[in-house]
Amino acid sequence: MTFTEKQTDPTAPTHWRGNMQADYLYPNGVAGDKFFKHLKNNDNFLATVCPDCEKIFFPPRLYCEDCFVEIPGENWIEVPATGTVRLFTTATINAHGKKMETSKTIGLIDIDKTDGAMLGIIKSSEMDKDLLGLKVKAILRPREQREGTIKDILYFEEI
Amino acid sequence: MTRVCVIGIGHTDFNSMTPGMGWKEFMYEACNKAYMDAGIDPRRDIDSFITCAEDYWEGFSIFDEFVPDQIGALLRPCCTVCGDGIYGLGNAYMQIQTGLMNVVSIEAHSKASDLLTYGDIMLHAFDPIYDRPVSGPVQRPNYAGSPSYTEESPKPLVGASDEKERIHPYFLAGLEMQHYLRKTKTTEEQCAMVAVQNKRNAFSNPYADYELNISVDDVMKSEYCFSPLKNLDVSPTVDGAVCFVLASEDFAREIGAEPIYLSGFGWSSETPWLSTRGMEADYAKKASKMAYKMAEIKQPTRQIDLVEVDDRFTYKQLQHLEALGFAGEGQAGRLIEDGSLDIDGWLPTNPSGGSLGVGNCLEATGLQKSLEIVTQLRGHAGKRQIADAQTGLAQSWRGIPSGSGAVAIFTRG
Repeated sequence: MTFTEKQTDPTAPTHWRGNMQADYLYPNGVAGDKFFKHLKNNDNFLATVCPDCEKIFFPPRLYCEDCFVEIPGENWIEVPATGTVRLFTTATINAHGKKMETSKTIGLIDIDKTDGAMLGIIKSSEMDKDLLGLKVKAILRPREQREGTIKDILYFEEI
Repeated sequence: MTRVCVIGIGHTDFNSMTPGMGWKEFMYEACNKAYMDAGIDPRRDIDSFITCAEDYWEGFSIFDEFVPDQIGALLRPCCTVCGDGIYGLGNAYMQIQTGLMNVVSIEAHSKASDLLTYGDIMLHAFDPIYDRPVSGPVQRPNYAGSPSYTEESPKPLVGASDEKERIHPYFLAGLEMQHYLRKTKTTEEQCAMVAVQNKRNAFSNPYADYELNISVDDVMKSEYCFSPLKNLDVSPTVDGAVCFVLASEDFAREIGAEPIYLSGFGWSSETPWLSTRGMEADYAKKASKMAYKMAEIKQPTRQIDLVEVDDRFTYKQLQHLEALGFAGEGQAGRLIEDGSLDIDGWLPTNPSGGSLGVGNCLEATGLQKSLEIVTQLRGHAGKRQIADAQTGLAQSWRGIPSGSGAVAIFTRG
């Protein structure tokens, strides 16, 4: 025992209950800005191709993480808002560790014609369906309601 | 080049909650025990102090400013590594190798029970633009102070579609577990065996808090939280603090310390982008390669007597054993089945109980694992002592959603 005194009455400990006000603007950056502005007015996605290794980044980036080279403007391409479910899980627990009212299926979706993937909610009429390898498409908000954020992608569903 | 020795280890009890202890008192206790163990006075003998912590886990900014008083570091060289405790060991090793420092203290802790929003804090580690919103709605910041802000400014919820609740960030472990099982043909039962064994090992560890006598069937019947991940596949959080004192070999000799050497370490980070990251613990492959080279380990299966690997989720233990080279792809499941990983097996794994048995102690995970290795090499592990342990490996991962990890190898002199 390090201290000569320790609390032994479980009703005794007191505390200060605090919180952290931590609001941020997270800039989309040059690449993100172009990606989201495109998404606002189109029904497909943008991606970038590394000039050296030809890896296709989705979401698009201005540099290649493998080669550490800049990706020039002419290497932007349009890709379809479709993909394949690489992995999926049915989540039943919310961020507070409590059971959710309704479980959600969340997937890692390989986006077609790219080397990238994204997380997305998957909606399927069949519960307990094996979704691995399923071809899906992004369901986007109606164009007039889009705001140029990831939120414009509502969810994914089977093609 | 001097060799670097562990001359002191100390730790608090590990408990699911510790409302009666302030976090500073908690750190003081672990450090005091380590300094007593080494038989040194920190105010006189320690040249440099390293704490390993992450502001968000602590609940305040600039953690390193809050440090010196409770670890004996006032007006001394002192810094914080934002990472797991093994990163601190590596930094201490390098400081000693420069010749500038002779004795270095390393501390890491978890006061997880003080966190009222553990899941949400972890969600803050997800990419805020592409990944975090998919978990569900969050209050959009009100931009107070910005020219366009008014009290009436709308504060819509940001999240995917019509979600009403945020999904716990452990969903990512569910995805990765599915990948691991599918790729390696490992079964959920084999993962369940990890929980059974580690929680049973914890009975022999006086400081472990999550010892349990359960069967594979119990784990299999526990509810799916993020399929294929089940509740008993997940290590629950725990409070605990650990302190190490490292010193040059000369200093260790001078004070007559038992010669346990930090003989190798390594660390590595994968891309943070989930869009391009693999799910095969490449960070552990790279970190171990670096550590093996430094410790001159050519055949880990022959040269290492015991391991403590990150097991914050059951499948992680198997995945990490493969990544560290102790089993071929998809073979770690067999090792848990055939008893190889038992305390009397050829590769005793997580004899302390690991995170499943001791508890998930956040950034202190690597030091808790190192603590077990050093205790074993000293021959002080009591009922769980592994006979003739000469070399042991501790490995940690920074947890969801990271792709980073570190390895430390300790050798008995």
